[in-house]
Amino acid sequence: MAKLLETKNLVTNFYTYEGSVKALDNVSISIDHGETFGLVGESGCGKSVTVRSVMRIIQSPGVIEGGEVLYCDDAEHPEQCEDLLIKSEEAMRELRGDRISMIFQEPNAALNPVLTIGEQVAESYMFHRQRSMSRQILADVESGKISFGIFSPLLKWAYRRASENPRAPALRLMSKLPLLKLWGRPMRREAVNRSVGIIERLGISNAAELVTRYPHNLSGGMKQRIVIAIALACNPTLLIADEATSNLDVTIQAQILELLQDLKERRAISSVLLITHDLGVVAETCDRVGVMYAGILCEVADVKTLFNNPVHPYTRALLNSVPRFCVEGELATIEGSVPNLVHPPAGCRFHPRCKAASDICKQEKPKLVDLGNGHSVACHHIDEKIGE
Amino acid sequence: MTAYIIRRLLFLIFVLFGVSVLIFGLLMTFSPERRAAVYVTTPQQAKDIPKLVKQYGLNDPVPIQYARWVKEVASGNLGWSLVAARPVAKAFWSYFPTTLELNLLASPLVIIVGIWLGTLAGVHRDTWIDHGTRIGAIVGWSLPTFLFALVLLMIFYGYYGLFPPGIISSDTSLWVINNPDKFTRYTGMYTIDGILNGHLWVTWDALNHLVLPVLTQVIVVVALLMRVMRSGMLEELSRDYVITAKAKGADAHTINIKHARKNALIPVITVAGQLVALSMEGSIAVEVVFSRQGMGWWLAHSATQLDMPVLMSVCMFIGVVFVLSNLIIDIMYAYIDPRIQLQ
Repeated sequence: MAKLLETKNLVTNFYTYEGSVKALDNVSISIDHGETFGLVGESGCGKSVTVRSVMRIIQSPGVIEGGEVLYCDDAEHPEQCEDLLIKSEEAMRELRGDRISMIFQEPNAALNPVLTIGEQVAESYMFHRQRSMSRQILADVESGKISFGIFSPLLKWAYRRASENPRAPALRLMSKLPLLKLWGRPMRREAVNRSVGIIERLGISNAAELVTRYPHNLSGGMKQRIVIAIALACNPTLLIADEATSNLDVTIQAQILELLQDLKERRAISSVLLITHDLGVVAETCDRVGVMYAGILCEVADVKTLFNNPVHPYTRALLNSVPRFCVEGELATIEGSVPNLVHPPAGCRFHPRCKAASDICKQEKPKLVDLGNGHSVACHHIDEKIGE
Repeated sequence: MTAYIIRRLLFLIFVLFGVSVLIFGLLMTFSPERRAAVYVTTPQQAKDIPKLVKQYGLNDPVPIQYARWVKEVASGNLGWSLVAARPVAKAFWSYFPTTLELNLLASPLVIIVGIWLGTLAGVHRDTWIDHGTRIGAIVGWSLPTFLFALVLLMIFYGYYGLFPPGIISSDTSLWVINNPDKFTRYTGMYTIDGILNGHLWVTWDALNHLVLPVLTQVIVVVALLMRVMRSGMLEELSRDYVITAKAKGADAHTINIKHARKNALIPVITVAGQLVALSMEGSIAVEVVFSRQGMGWWLAHSATQLDMPVLMSVCMFIGVVFVLSNLIIDIMYAYIDPRIQLQ
């Protein structure tokens, strides 16, 4: 399959008062068109930082220090990839929310409390769909569906300009002048109409009424769906779901996962990058999985291989610590805790907690080794582990 | 909403009662003779003090004196102001417009400049804009107002003869007094009366006298408002919804203004409302230094001369202003923050 997104040796640091937190250390993942990729790991292992680095929305004091983020929008022409890290901020803005979009984990915090739901969803269209909305309004006016009365000539001119170039200087000037700035109103109304459409497609029946409400009027599950609606508004090629279901109860969680699956099948979105710490969700929905630990990528494999034949000691420990019905006795845990990333352990970052650790693990960073079939592992003791 | 407003206005009665008891009690700590002596101007009258005490019942129990005062106030008699040599109610209407005039110009400026500079400092955190406004705020906030006023007066009026102190120049004031048929004092504010009477040169003259007081007031008050706005912006810009907006593809202007500032304004409204309310009773330093006979000037002189009816009335006025300003702040809250519902 053709590659959609590939990060190469991504390094991100956070410069805090205690020192620089090395949040990502040479993370390389790749996602194909049409694939659902799961990124798992404990809290604070750098899953969110990875995807935020991809979208370049790391907040201060975080800095992306190095690496590449290759993005190949066109599946037919895999050679036309662009490095997102060297793109201009303006070009990135056009990409965010349009080609790559993100669902956030905390729906209570992810929505602006003082803006209506409609306004927040409509923003996606206002940022990326001004041309097509202008064309539609123009068509509606010409077919007599809507009428602007005596302002018709002026508005028709404005929307003709906007359908060619929504950022034309004349239109920007108009938006700043009193009264004349009202020209954008029909467009905003159209954006809200489209928002109602996308919210309805997520299985919410009273969408038209919902868009006039504020986030605090909605339940948690409803808010999460609004966050999803924002991300899906422009049919992104890559949808990043950052713990999208972690704070929801199980029934809603299942609904939302089903919804994502359904959207993929209907080709509304091409690929999904699912971040979670729930291995059950991974087994259920993902094609391939990456396991992260303390800012490094330990193991990548397709979902069956990972669950049946894990190689990295951390992956094994992680899978062992999942409670099972059929196994009696105490639940296996991983000894120790996640290291402080201001002074990460030398060598392999997992070695202080690893039972198989030897001298080389304390000195040298293991490289990601390809075992074939897209299964790669970063461990010094691969040979001993395979087939165990 | 209406019920809420009515409830808050009823609350005003309790506030006024509390304030008046407090100030009345404070003034009652002076001996009756001391209170009567205030109205005595010549040594010959000094022997009349016991007579005055008896005549006005200054030796009566405090509750009776208080009840007497409440009765008079209820009938519209606020007493006689020694400082103004007029009844308090009448004097109020000659001093209050002066303060109001200053604040009508200064308050909008304070709010606009404070919010604008605070937003700028918050958005451009740790750049020269932030540091510059911070230094300005520290200077404006820590220098005593009277010193600031004096420095401005010395530079502009002392060296260049610009922006004289006072309310209006004496020539204009004389002309206004001598031509009551041409110039009616509708509001008591020269700037507005000048426009209403069609004598724009009066307005111009009054504005000339207003420049320095307004400047002093704005610089001193903006300093605080700006810092509140800045910290609000910083807090809001670190919220998750800002990342959501960014991930949607929002540009910096939309994020700063539409998303963050609207949230950051909520706490700022309280501070701005309080600051405006506070300046309504007149900045004593500004009015004394620029010799503008407003509320602050009146209060300062009344306090030093123990002009009790004025002290009582002005304190009551301050109470009214604070209750009303808090009510207005609450109503504005309900408009800007959809999570708040007044009931």
